Parts: sequence; C-alpha cells; structure tokens
Amino acid sequence: MTRADLDEFRERVRDWCRAHVPKDWRREQTGVSDEEFVSFQQEWFQELRRAGFAVPHWPAEWGGGMPVAEQVVLYQELAAHDAPRLVLAFVAIHHAASTLLAAGTDAQRRRHLPAILDGEIWVQGFSEPGAGSDLAALSTSARREGDAYVVNGQKLWASGAAHADWCLLLARTDPSAPKRRGISYFLMDMRTPGIDVRAVRQATGESHFCEIFLDDVVIPAEHLVGPENEGWRVAQRTLGAERGMTMLELAERLGNGGFRWLVELCARPGPGGARPLDDPLVADRLAALETELTGLRALCARLVADEDPGPADASIVKLYYSELLQRMTDFGAEVAGLAAHTALRKPLSSGWESGAWVLDFIGSWEWTIPGGTSEIQRSIIGERGLGLPREPRGS
Amino acid sequence: MPAESPGLSELHDELRAVARDLLGKADAEAAADWRSIAGAGWPGLEVPGAFDGADATFAEVAVILQEMGRAAARGPYAAVAVLGVGVLNLLESGPDRDRLLRDTAAGDAVPVAVLEGEAMGETSFRIARTARGPLLHGTADFVLDAPAADRLLVPALDPDGTPVIVGVDPRAAGLSVERRPVLDATRGFGRVAVTDVSVPPESVWRFRGDPQEAVRRLRDRAAVAMACDSLGLSKAMLEATVAYAGVREQFGRKIGSFQAVKHACADMLVQVSVARELVAAAVRGQAGDEPGAAVAASMAKSYACAAAVEVAGKAMQLHGGMGYTWESGVHVYLKRAALNRSLFGSPALHRRRLAERYSPLARERLDAYGGSERSLS
Repeated sequence: MTRADLDEFRERVRDWCRAHVPKDWRREQTGVSDEEFVSFQQEWFQELRRAGFAVPHWPAEWGGGMPVAEQVVLYQELAAHDAPRLVLAFVAIHHAASTLLAAGTDAQRRRHLPAILDGEIWVQGFSEPGAGSDLAALSTSARREGDAYVVNGQKLWASGAAHADWCLLLARTDPSAPKRRGISYFLMDMRTPGIDVRAVRQATGESHFCEIFLDDVVIPAEHLVGPENEGWRVAQRTLGAERGMTMLELAERLGNGGFRWLVELCARPGPGGARPLDDPLVADRLAALETELTGLRALCARLVADEDPGPADASIVKLYYSELLQRMTDFGAEVAGLAAHTALRKPLSSGWESGAWVLDFIGSWEWTIPGGTSEIQRSIIGERGLGLPREPRGS
Repeated sequence: MPAESPGLSELHDELRAVARDLLGKADAEAAADWRSIAGAGWPGLEVPGAFDGADATFAEVAVILQEMGRAAARGPYAAVAVLGVGVLNLLESGPDRDRLLRDTAAGDAVPVAVLEGEAMGETSFRIARTARGPLLHGTADFVLDAPAADRLLVPALDPDGTPVIVGVDPRAAGLSVERRPVLDATRGFGRVAVTDVSVPPESVWRFRGDPQEAVRRLRDRAAVAMACDSLGLSKAMLEATVAYAGVREQFGRKIGSFQAVKHACADMLVQVSVARELVAAAVRGQAGDEPGAAVAASMAKSYACAAAVEVAGKAMQLHGGMGYTWESGVHVYLKRAALNRSLFGSPALHRRRLAERYSPLARERLDAYGGSERSLS
C-alpha cells in the first residue's frame, strides 16, 4: 500500500466521521439508563458495520480484511473525531472472535461470527474469587455427563454479563491434573438454566462488572473449544491476540481527546483567576505528558505492525498505558480542583478519559488491576522479556 | 523539642481510644449523632473553661481529626471545631459571640465559618452602607459543611475595608445555601450566596488582634486539619492493606510474601512516617501559636495530603479486584484523600508559599515587616 493510498483512506474515514459521529453524544450519554446505553451501542455498532469499520481486523471472508496500516488510520481518525467507543461489543469482536478463529470449529464460527455482526453480546467468564492474578487456580468445575458438561462454580469481574448472550468460560475438567492441564474452554449460552448474574458495584459507582453463579449448568459438548483439558493453552493464545490494536485505539483516545481536554482545562482560569498553563510547572507537566503519550502511541503502532512481537511487548504497552492513564487523570484531578469532585457521572460509551477527572482517576484502577495487574506485568516483563530468573510461584 | 509531655501523651491515648470506639460504632452511611460527639466534649475542646469548654488546645482537636480521617467519618466536626470555634476564639468577647461559644461546647449550636474551600485569596463578602442600613453581599463556592450549619460565620470586609465576622442565620432572607454533592459521599459542601442581607450591629464581630493575621491563621488551621484527616486515613489504608496482604493467597502463597507487594507496603509506611512527623510539627505550631506555624502548616498540608492519595491508591491496587469494588470501601478513602488534597490549598499552592521564602527580596521584605517566622530557619 502506498502513502497516497493511505492518505486517501484517511480522507475517506474523516469524511465518514464528520457525517456519522453523533453530535453531542457525550452530553446525551451522561446519566442514561442501561437500556439507552445498550441501544446506543448497538446502533453505533451497526453504523460502523455498514461502513466496514466494525470488525476490520477479522478475516475478509467473515467481513473484515482491512490491512493493518489502514486499521491504524481508522482508529487514529475515530479517536481524533471523538467517536463513541464500542464498549458493549468489545469482548465479542475481539476475544470471542479471535478464540473462534484460532481454535473454534467451522460450525462454531458459522454459528457465532455472523451473529456477532448482528449484535450478539459476549462476556468473559475467567476470573473467580480465588483466582485473580493466579487465574490457573480457578475452581469452577465442568463434569462430563454423556454428551454434555455440568458446570458449577462462581465467576467474578465479568464485564457486561448483565447484557450478554454468550459467555467465554474457563472451567476445570480434570481436578487431578496439574492446574494448567485440567482446564477446558467453553462457549456458554447465558440463557441456560442455573445461571444467576448479579451486578457488582465498582469504585466509580457504576455496575458493569458482574458475578456469575453457576449451579448445575448444562453445556452441550459441541460448545467445547479445542480439546478437553487444553483450555489454558487456548486462552493463552487468544488473550494476547487482540492486545495490539485494542491498545492502539486506547492510546489514540488518550492522546487525542484526553490530552486536548487536559490542555483546555489548563488554559481556563482556575479558582484563583490565574490560568494553570501560565504556571511553568503545569506547562512542564503537560509537555512531559505529551512526550509520554507520543512514545506510547509509537509503541502501539510498532506492536501492531510487528509480525513477530517480543514475548513481553504486549505487557510493556499495557503497563505503560495504564500507569500513564493514572498519572494523567491524577494530574487532571489536581489541576481541576474541587469542581472536578462535583462531576458524579461520566458519559457512557466514552474511553477511560472523559474529562471528569476525579472519576477518571478512580476509574484508572480498572486498568492497573484487571487483565494482569501492574505487578504481574512487571514480572512478565522481567521474566519473559529479559529472561530473569522466575519468582517462586508455589505449586 | 519533645513531642509532648508524658501526661499529655496519656491524655491523647485516651482521647484516641474513645474516638475510635465512638466513630467505629457509627453507621457507615450516616454521621455519628452530633449529640454523642458533643457529649464526648469534642466541639468544646478549644472553648475556654469560662464558657463550659475543655480549655484544651488544637493538639487535642488534632487527635480527633486523625480519628475522623481513619474512620472516614461523616459530619461537620472539622467545620465546627476547627473553623467555627477557631473563628470565635479569635474574636473580641461580646454577648452573642460568648453565648455561641457556650452553645457550641454544649452541642446546641453548629456554627460553620464561610471559608472558601479553594481560592485562597481575600473574602468576597462585603458590608455596604445603604439607605436601608448595612447590607451584606458576596458568594463562596465551596464551603465545607455549610448545609449542616445553624449559624454561618461570614468573613467580610466592613465598609471601611476592615475584616470582620458577620454571624448570620442560614435561613435569613437573601441568603441561600445550595448543596454541592461531591464524589466523596462522606463530605458535605454548600455554595453560600448572600444578596443584601441586613446586618444588625450586634451581628458584626471584630477580631481581637490584627484581622489580616487572624484570617491567615484560620486558613492555616484549616490546612492542618486536612493534613490530620489525610494522615488518619493513610494509617487506616496501610493497616487494611497489610492485613489483606497477610491473608489473601495467590500462587499458593500469601500475596504479602511477594516483593512487589511487600515493597509497596513498605513505601506506604515510609510515607506515613514522614507525614506523621510533619503533621505533628504543624499541630504543635497551631496549638502553641509558635513562630514557624505557617511554614509547618504548608509542609504538612502539601506532603500529608499528597501522600494520602498515593497511599490510598496503593491500597486499592494491592487489594486487587476486591479493592475496586464499592463494597470494599477503599474507594471512600481514595475519594476523601483526593478531596482533602484540593481543599484549603493544593500541594502546589502550599509549596509556592514555601518557595516564596527563598527569594532574597522576599526575605528582606518579610524581615522589614517583622515576618521572620516565614523566613528560612
């Protein structure tokens, strides 16, 4: 692809964004009900789909096939035009799809990939109360009975479970095997009897995380992904598969809207009448943050372009993004002062930065804790990236 | 300088134990009953004995403030005991002022000073001479616990430009207190707007000493109160995190046995230890009205309130997913810490105050005005 082709594509995306990004969606999506959020997300997803922008990373035969360089441009422009994020479809188009494409059967792909394009919502059922950082310690059990499995246990931090049609489920099929060897990967229909979903309220006051209680839930054996007891390997392979482009999108958001709002905040007169920007220390912090953001965006662009990324590259990006998000929102909260504490809600469908700085700061722990805590990421970087000796990890 | 005499130390231990007990019993969703707080004698700690107060000092109030932070307690204690009583003690004696002090010590009055929570400049309230007599007007955007007050103590400039305090009934015609909900649900704020409220002479109270100096001291008290609160909440977060790291197991081990967790806890203790010393010095400065009190106040406010955000943030991080839930309550402390940091002068503002002393010109000017307490020592 030539530079001119890419420039032309960029113009096309810009035109599309100007015509299709809903005006004033941030204001309108602040304080909306769950139902309104879901329908807004579904409509936006279909809007993107009609343009060919919903699942550009999928293979062409399933409705994607966009070259990586164009995907990068797409996410840069969506961020630059402050388009709503695909929050609800996230697990479906990334984790579910990459799992099905990498390890699913033809029947499973045909059953689910088109359905996802039509709005099927997915949730990830991996973590448990006793299995967080140590995910392989999970104890939800799946017992084979004839041509089905009977599942019992409890899942935690299942984001969006309240709206989900299907669940990516890890459960233990061989309790006697070493812990990574006895896990299987299932597709679970959320309408199956025995499933109880309860919302968990988070630090920000929102409740998109859920607990899923599983009581003798029957999963047909045809919903197993990959061989029995090979679930850990399937999960490892697909978990990191989408990290590059999803991180690039988030980094573009932070570098566009996030940084722009921060500069605007600093350019407005503060409570004492002075503009924070006129304080050399504030100006210095802004310049330092812009530099860091530029580094992060370049790191993400390299990760998605790299055919053979290093074993810790995804961890480096995740760690740097989440801690930069935390530092940046912390700084925003400090500069914005008491007024920022009166923003009790932020717009749904936004990224992790919304300009409600204190809420964004509190919400930043949703990035430094889940998906491998910063502590876990540092261990991965040290051990897999640098080859340092492993920490003792018990059994 | 000894931290405190042995007798005083015992008294503080006892006060702390009573406070922990009383605040521990309070419902997490509601403030401890003001009656029980008054019954414990806390609002009257600094009220003179002549008005049925305890004749104690800010050092004792500071013990309660730390416990309030530790419990993330609700209620207007800081606004009343630090600012309300603080203002009243700086005023000339008079029947209304004296009665209000007595009522406050007894728990019958809840006076709150209308101090702007953020902009640290001059008060915006003015008394104007008009054909209808003297009228008060002005606004303050963020006034701690204004909605809980039954008497507002408004710092204002009288028609001659002299700072005075006007005692106003919050229900007075022309006055509005608009609630301003904040993310930290343990705190209450109000926007106080005053439009032509009539000011009878007996409601205008004068400062005993230099009025400018009095207002400055009031701000220092407010800053140190926040530092005490932040220190208390930091200690609570450190203890909760250490306890959790000692029981939560992952990878077949207590997570506290991992260096990543252990070292983070150690850093928290280091920060808490430094904050404790700076706060102790600031409290001594306030209690004894010592030279250097303003410097100590700015150091304590800027360090302890910034450290508390980091400590509470680490607590959330080390509690893992559990720490991010509403139910765990860690968020209450993180939000309170972030609010304390912005209230009564940001760390940057207090550090700027400290740095003003480094300029040779400022030092000469300060020395010329007898401002030696603000110079480097």
